[in-house]
Amino acid sequence: MVKFYSNTYSYDYNFPAVSLAYFLRYPNPYSRHVASTDTIERYFDPDTQRLTTVRLHVKQSRLPPAVLKVLPKSAVGSDENGRAQSFILEKSVVDVRQGWMETESKNLDWNNVLSVIERHTFRRPEEGLGTADHRTDVEVSVTLKSRIGEQLRKKRQRWGDQATASSVAGAGGEEEPVVKQGWFSSWSSGAVRAAVESISLQRTERSQPKAQL
Amino acid sequence: MSASLAPECNDVKERYDTCFLKWYSEKYLRNTATTDECEPLFRQYKTCLTKALKERGIDQMLEDAKADNKENDAEYMKPVG
Repeated sequence: MVKFYSNTYSYDYNFPAVSLAYFLRYPNPYSRHVASTDTIERYFDPDTQRLTTVRLHVKQSRLPPAVLKVLPKSAVGSDENGRAQSFILEKSVVDVRQGWMETESKNLDWNNVLSVIERHTFRRPEEGLGTADHRTDVEVSVTLKSRIGEQLRKKRQRWGDQATASSVAGAGGEEEPVVKQGWFSSWSSGAVRAAVESISLQRTERSQPKAQL
Repeated sequence: MSASLAPECNDVKERYDTCFLKWYSEKYLRNTATTDECEPLFRQYKTCLTKALKERGIDQMLEDAKADNKENDAEYMKPVG
């Protein structure tokens, strides 16, 4: 079960400016949730003139209330305010000769709840010099996948109905085994995954246009 | 300039970032770069960062991600004809 979002648009700025802006995304007043950005790898290939960069971002935000209601408490590592921290790995390759840049960002943690892979391709338009030189074409695609309940399902297949939600959830399971079993049987984990993915897709569709550089 | 997740690395990070932005906009984007001139600064910054990541236990998470990415690397780094 996976959800996709994709979009194409273009910026009224030339490719060099757009690629530079990509590296200067943070800090900015519209992304206060990004607490830090670190470059962990950088490689310049003198033959192809390609620059490969790997960066690590730390984002602090509140989980959407809709998602919070749907998740079992054990999957949520946030504090009482619903505040959570997440690590994002961003990989990018810039080819200045051919005039393109490809990026991929994904979360490193929380993957059991939701995994988001966001890919961008920035390209100098194909048309000849002149008007095309001041534009950059962009393709965005976002892949959303939730794995909630997969562990439980796999365990059930191995051990039969002996396995309970508490044995997979770990800490916090002992106090309320009855509640957890009831929760899982009344709303199948497949439905939870679909719900998490749908909510995330809606948020992606709303926020992607605003996120354009 | 963005902050580092390790405040102790902020200074060396700022020096590296400044060097990179200058090199990137003045050399790389004009197709006149021959080497990564900021590499020495990056090594200093990376030393500080690696220590910080280890202390915070984040290095394992990155190693796991690298293992996943190995297949994608071959595709990305392939020179286009």
